[in-house]
Amino acid sequence: MLFNSLGFVVFLVVILAVYYSPLLNWSGKKIMLLLASYVFYGLWNPPLIALLWISTMVDWTAGNKLAKEERPGIRKFWLLLSMFVNLGFLAFFKYGDFLLENFVVLANSVGWDFQAKPMDIILPMGISFYTFQTMSYTIDIYKRKIEPAQTFLDFALYVTFFPQLVAGPIVRAKDLITQFYEEKKATMQQFIWGLFLLTLGLFQKVVLADTLLSHTSDTVFGAKEVLNFWDAWTGTLAFSGQIFFDFAGYSTCAIGIALMLGIILPDNFKYPYASIGFSDLWKRWHISLSSWLKDYLYIPLGGNRHGITRMYVALALTMLLGGLWHGAAWTFVIWGALHGTYLIAERILRSRIPIKINAWNGILFAFLTYTLINFTWVFFRAREFVTAKNMILSMLFLNGDGTKVLDTFSILKVGILTCLLFLCHWLMRNTSVREVSKRIPSWLLGIVWAAMFFLIAISQGNGEQFIYFQF
Amino acid sequence: MKLKNSFLIALILSILSLTGWEMYWRSKGKVPTVQDDNAIWATTRAKVNNLTNEDFVFTGSSRVHFDLQLDQWEAYTGKRPIQLAMGGASPLPIFRDVVRNTNFTGTIVVGVTPPLFFSTTFPQAPPISGPQEKVDYYKDRTYAQRFNHWLSMPLQHNFVFVHSYEDMIAGNFDLRSLLETITIGNRTGNPKIPPFYEFGEFSEERNVRMLERMTKDPDFAKTVIDIWMFCLKGNAGMPPPDKESTMAFFMEDAEIFKKRGGKIILLRAPSSNEFRAIEAKITPRTNFWDELVISSELPAYHFEDYKQLQGLNLPEWSHLSAEAADFYTLEILKILENDGILTNQKIN
Repeated sequence: MLFNSLGFVVFLVVILAVYYSPLLNWSGKKIMLLLASYVFYGLWNPPLIALLWISTMVDWTAGNKLAKEERPGIRKFWLLLSMFVNLGFLAFFKYGDFLLENFVVLANSVGWDFQAKPMDIILPMGISFYTFQTMSYTIDIYKRKIEPAQTFLDFALYVTFFPQLVAGPIVRAKDLITQFYEEKKATMQQFIWGLFLLTLGLFQKVVLADTLLSHTSDTVFGAKEVLNFWDAWTGTLAFSGQIFFDFAGYSTCAIGIALMLGIILPDNFKYPYASIGFSDLWKRWHISLSSWLKDYLYIPLGGNRHGITRMYVALALTMLLGGLWHGAAWTFVIWGALHGTYLIAERILRSRIPIKINAWNGILFAFLTYTLINFTWVFFRAREFVTAKNMILSMLFLNGDGTKVLDTFSILKVGILTCLLFLCHWLMRNTSVREVSKRIPSWLLGIVWAAMFFLIAISQGNGEQFIYFQF
Repeated sequence: MKLKNSFLIALILSILSLTGWEMYWRSKGKVPTVQDDNAIWATTRAKVNNLTNEDFVFTGSSRVHFDLQLDQWEAYTGKRPIQLAMGGASPLPIFRDVVRNTNFTGTIVVGVTPPLFFSTTFPQAPPISGPQEKVDYYKDRTYAQRFNHWLSMPLQHNFVFVHSYEDMIAGNFDLRSLLETITIGNRTGNPKIPPFYEFGEFSEERNVRMLERMTKDPDFAKTVIDIWMFCLKGNAGMPPPDKESTMAFFMEDAEIFKKRGGKIILLRAPSSNEFRAIEAKITPRTNFWDELVISSELPAYHFEDYKQLQGLNLPEWSHLSAEAADFYTLEILKILENDGILTNQKIN
C-alpha cells in the first residue's frame, strides 16, 4: 500500500480510530497494529508475507538462544543461521538474476558455452530494509548490546511496523522495541505535528518529486541520443531533486504516521544537499542506512583501528556493498565506488590541507559537494553504462552537438527548483522544520500547510510508487 | 507553538481553496467524469473471466470504443458487452490476452482500423505498447490498486478536481497539465503538437459517447481533426505497415479461439474526408482489409459495403457522433442477425 493513495487514507483513519478507541488494551492495540501491518504489506502481494514471518521467526528464535547461550560455538551458530537466512533471502530475491547473469558472462568469457534463462524473480517490497533491521537485532544480542524483546508480539511488531516497513528508516531494536513495552498515546501536539509531517512528506513526494521533477528526469535518462550540455545537467539535477524528495518524503511520512500513534522514529535526512564534504553527507543522507553500514560493516571490517590502509579498504568495501544494497546492477556498484573514492579523497585532503570552514567558504564547499554528488546520481539513475557515459561526457562539455530533448520551461523549472532546494538545505542545515515552525506565527504555518495540501490535492496523480521500494 | 491554531487555519483554508477550485472549473464547463485509466480497464477485463458463450467482448481502437454503444447492443441482444477497445491501439495484444488467458467462448468483435491493425507487432511501438501496458496492469495489479480504484469511483463521479494527469490530453487542470501549457519558444525544434482535447465522455463500464459539443461547435471538432492530420502525416512515430507479421500474429490467436468454439467478427467502422483518403493510401482496402478477410475466413463487415452505413455523422472524420453511434450499433446488429451471426437467447 502506498502512502500517496486513497486506500492508505482510509486504512490510516481506521487504524487511528481503533487505536484511540477504548475497545482494546495495549496488547490488543499492538496485535491490531501487527495485523494492520500485514494487511498493509499483503495488499501488495499476499504470499510474500511468508518471508516476513520466516524472518521474524528465525530472528526471534536466534535472539532468544543467543541471550541464554554461553558457549561461543553455539552462539556463533545462531548468529550465522540468522545471517544465512536473511542474507539468503536478499541474495535469492534481490541478486538471483544478477548473479546468474554475471555467472553466464564469466562462463562464456572462459570459453564455456553456457546459457541460462533469467529466473524473473519478483522482488519483495522493502526486503532490504526489514532484513537489515532484523539482522541488527540478532547481531546486537550476539554482542550483548541489547536484551531480547520481552514478548514475541513486541518483536513481530518491530519487524513489521507498517510506517517504516518498506522503506525505512531502518530502526534499531533498542530504539523501537522498548517503545512497545508501555502504552503509547500521542499528545495532541504530537498528533497534529505528525499530521503536518505526513502532509509535508506527501507534498515532497506527490508535488515536488512526481509532478515537478520526474517527467524531466525520465525524458533525459530515457533518451536514446547523446544529449546537449543543458539537457544532461537538467536531467541529472531533476533526478537529484526527485530522489531526495521521493525518499525524504517517504521517511517524513513514516515519522509523521508513527508520531500520530505516539511512536518516535529517528530522523533519516538532515538537509543532505548542504553537506560540506562526503563524510558530512553520509551523516545527513539516509542516516539510518549509513549508521547501519558503519556499525555492522565498516567497524567489523576494521574501521580506523588498524591503520590508514586498512581504513581505506574498509571504507571502499563498505561503500561498494552500500551501492550494491541499492540495486542488483553494476551501475549501483559504480555509484558506491564513486562515493567511496570521494570519502577517501576527502580524508586524504583533510589530513594534508587543514581548512577552517566558515559561512563564506562553507557554501562554496557545499556547492562543490553537491556538484560532485550529481555525478554519482548519473550512475544511480542510468540503466546502462553507455547512457551514464554519454551523460557524464555531455555534462563535462565533451559532447559538442548534443540533442536537445527538453523545452525551455522544463530547464527553467528544474533550475529554479534546484536553486531553491540547495538554498533551503543551506539555510536549514543547522536547524529543523520543528525549530523553524516554532519561530514562525501559527497563522503562517497554517497557510503553508494549507498550500501544501491544496497542491497535493490538485496533483494527486495515479499514485506513483516510491523509488526506494525497489531497493 | 500553537499547533492547534495552525491546524484549524490549514483545515479551513484547505476546504475553502478546494471548494473554490472545484467551483471555478465547474464554471468553466467542466463536469465530473470517469477517467478511462488502467484501473478501469483492468476492472472491465476481469469481467471476461465470468462470461458465457452467449456474451460479447469488443476489442479494437477508439472507433469500436465510440461507435459501438453498449446500451443499444444490450437492448437488442439482451447481453451487455464488455468494452476492451482503447484509443490509438492495435487490437492484437488485447485479443491475444482474451484468447490465451481466459476460457471465453463467446463472440469477440475485433475493430479493424487499418493503419493501427496492420501497424506492427514490435512490443515497444505505441500501437502495441499502449494496449500491452493495460494487459500487464491487469495481470500485475495489486489488491491495493483494486481498493484504490474502488474508492476513487465515487470521487470521480462527484468531483471535477480529482481528474488526474493524462498523457497527450490537453485541457486538463491537474498541476502537471497546467504547467505543461506554459511554453517558451521551441528549443527542441520538434513540430508543435496541436492541443488534443478529450472529446468523449466515459462511463464506469468504459462505454464512451462523443460529446455533444463536437456536433455543435465546428471549431472544437477542428481541434481533433488537426491532431489526426498531424499524426497521419507522419508525426506520431507510427511505423510503416507490416501486413505479414500483424496478420500472422492475429491468425495464430484467431485459430486458437475458433478451435475452442469462439466466434470472431471483424468490423471496419466508418471514417470520412481526408482521414479516409489517407487511410486508403497507407493501407489500401484490397491489399489489407480484403486480404485479411479472405485469409481469416471470418465474418467481416466494412462500412463501405452497406448503403445504410453511408453518410453518417463523423464530426472529426474518424468517430461517430453519439446519435450516429446509436444508429450504427443497431444497423450492425441487424446485419449480424440477418447473417445468422447473432444466436443468443433474446434474438432466438
